[in-house]
This record gives sequence, C-alpha cells and structure tokens, in this order.
Amino acid sequence: MDNIITVGLGEYAVSKDPLDILVAYGLGSCVGIGMYDQKIRLAGLLHALLPVHPLGSADENSRYVDTGIQLLIEEMIKKGADHSRLVVRMAGGANMLVAPGFTGSFNIGTRNVETAYTTLNKLKLTLAGKEVGGTQGRTVKFYVKDGRMTIRSIGNQEREV
Amino acid sequence: MSESSQKFDQELHSLLVVMANEGIHNAAKGMSDMVGESLSVDQPLVKRVPIREIPNLLGGPEAEAVGIYLRVEGQIGGQMMLVVPYAKALELVDLMMNVPVGTTQNLGAIERSALQEMGNLTGSFFLNAVAATTGLNARPSPPAVMVDMIGAIIDIILATSDNLSETVLMLQAKFLRNGREAEVDFWIIPDRNTIENMVKGE
Repeated sequence: MDNIITVGLGEYAVSKDPLDILVAYGLGSCVGIGMYDQKIRLAGLLHALLPVHPLGSADENSRYVDTGIQLLIEEMIKKGADHSRLVVRMAGGANMLVAPGFTGSFNIGTRNVETAYTTLNKLKLTLAGKEVGGTQGRTVKFYVKDGRMTIRSIGNQEREV
Repeated sequence: MSESSQKFDQELHSLLVVMANEGIHNAAKGMSDMVGESLSVDQPLVKRVPIREIPNLLGGPEAEAVGIYLRVEGQIGGQMMLVVPYAKALELVDLMMNVPVGTTQNLGAIERSALQEMGNLTGSFFLNAVAATTGLNARPSPPAVMVDMIGAIIDIILATSDNLSETVLMLQAKFLRNGREAEVDFWIIPDRNTIENMVKGE
C-alpha cells in the first residue's frame, strides 16, 4: 500500500522506499521542488517558503529556496545519488493576492520561482517539468517508485508535470 | 525564544485580549448597521497558535477555505486575515444577506463583495478599538478575498510575516443573528516594529 509522507512547510524529505509518496499540501506562494535519481530510485522533495536565505540568519536552510535546494542535493548525494543523474521537477509559486494594491511586495511566488531557476542553473541542473505561477494553490505529490510528480488544485483534475 | 519575543507574547497577548473584545463587539455593531438588523457576537476566544498548526486547525492544508486579507498601515502595521471554511463562508453570506441557510451555493462577485465588506468593517472597527486602547492609529487596506486551499491561503501570512512571529494570535468569534450563527477566525499578525512599539508603550 502507498505510504504518504507529508513534507511540511519549510521542510524536506528524502526516500528510496518505492511505496512512499512525498506530498506537500496546499502550496500557495511556496514552491515544491522534487529531485529524482532514476538509477537508484531515490526521491527528495523540498517545500520552501521564501526565496533567499538572509545572510547570518539562523533559520533552517530548508525554509528558503536557495539554501533548501542545496540542502536537498547534499542529502540526496549522501544517500547515494549522483549529481549528474538528478532530474528536477517543480510546482507552486502562485501569487495568491491579485487584488489591486497588493502587487509588488506580495509577489513572493514569482520570486520563489525565479530564485529556483537561478539556483538550479548555478548547480547545472535543468527542470524536466514544472507548473508554476498562476493564482491557485496546489498540492504536489512526488512518487518515489518512478519520480512522477502530480498536481492537484481546487476545481481541476490531478495532472502530471 | 528570545527575551523580547517572550515579552511580546505576554504583554501583547493581554493587550489583545482587551482589544479583541472591544474590537469584535465594535465590528458586530458595524455589521449590524450594514445589514440593518441587530447582529451580536459571542465573547471572542483569544489564543496563540503556532504558525505551522494553522492548516490543521482548519481541516487540513488541502481543505477549501475563504480568506479575507487586509494589510494594516499607519502607526501600527501588520496583517489581518479572516479565515472561514468554504461551507461556513456560504452560510456567512446567507447570514449577512439575510436569506435562508443554504441559499448561497457559490461565491460570485456579489458574494465576494459581501465578504470583502465584512472584512473591511471588521478590520476598521477592530483598528478603531486598537486606537481607543493604545492611541495608535492605523487603517486597513482594501480587503482581498481568496478562495483556495487553506495551506495556500496561509502562505501569504507565513511568507510576509517576520520570523519573530512563530506563533500568531487567533481570535475566534461567533456572530449571531436571529438564532443563527457563523463562526469566524481572525488572525492578527503585527509587524516586528509594531510589536516593539506596543510593548514599549509608544
């Protein structure tokens, strides 16, 4: 039977149990970044809240997109993954507030996604699939057995990225 | 937890218990004026809730909810959010529009606007009470209504609040009209400098 592992806000999880499904529920401006090493069937999912880790801050690295991605890679490599084999998928980064007067400082979703692009680019990782932006929240499921990522949002069918 | 955040916890909490009562009663009065009929409100419950727990308190992060979000600007700054599970939001609209329970089936432009107005009133009246208690003036931004998964709605608060606020203040209020009731959760997240000013009594 499938085993749901909830990846909470500002957390990450790594698993090689094929029955595990890593799930980040209700991502709004947050991003879910999944990495997969097909050869050893190792999957990792990050649920990051904010784009860039402030210098000198004692906050957990997994809360931020830039440091969270690094952390996730380190964890994956520790568990036997090879950097060159990592396949990355990403979802989330919506801009939830679209009312007038709430633009600008509220586009955290966009900034999260941009930071993910920059960080992945620096690390020479390319995205195999993504569904980002928009104004709707998403639940992301990442399947350890095959590295598939699916998304659900209210009023829409579950789909794959 | 740092010394200053502990101080914030205790002092702001007791201050907010006073203001919450005043503010929510004020808000009910404002809404009564709006609907043209007396609307009362129960004694609000004031609690501190860890940020991460919020989605679980409201039926899980995937549960559909309505969030009415306001920024607070002025001598005090912060964020206010009214959160209602989706089904309850429909009842709240019924209550405000004085139609039988179950009449409102979805949230179209009129219904959203009613909820916006409610956010507006609640926010303004709450801030009036804050001003009366502390002498600090602030006004709310126009409210934004979000209908989505609770986790996604809450992201706004989480992403824009300072790390200092690892817990947020929740006021749980029940509005009553002709024997009908609607429960609304208010989340109050003051900005960091506001917290400091309030505690210093400035």
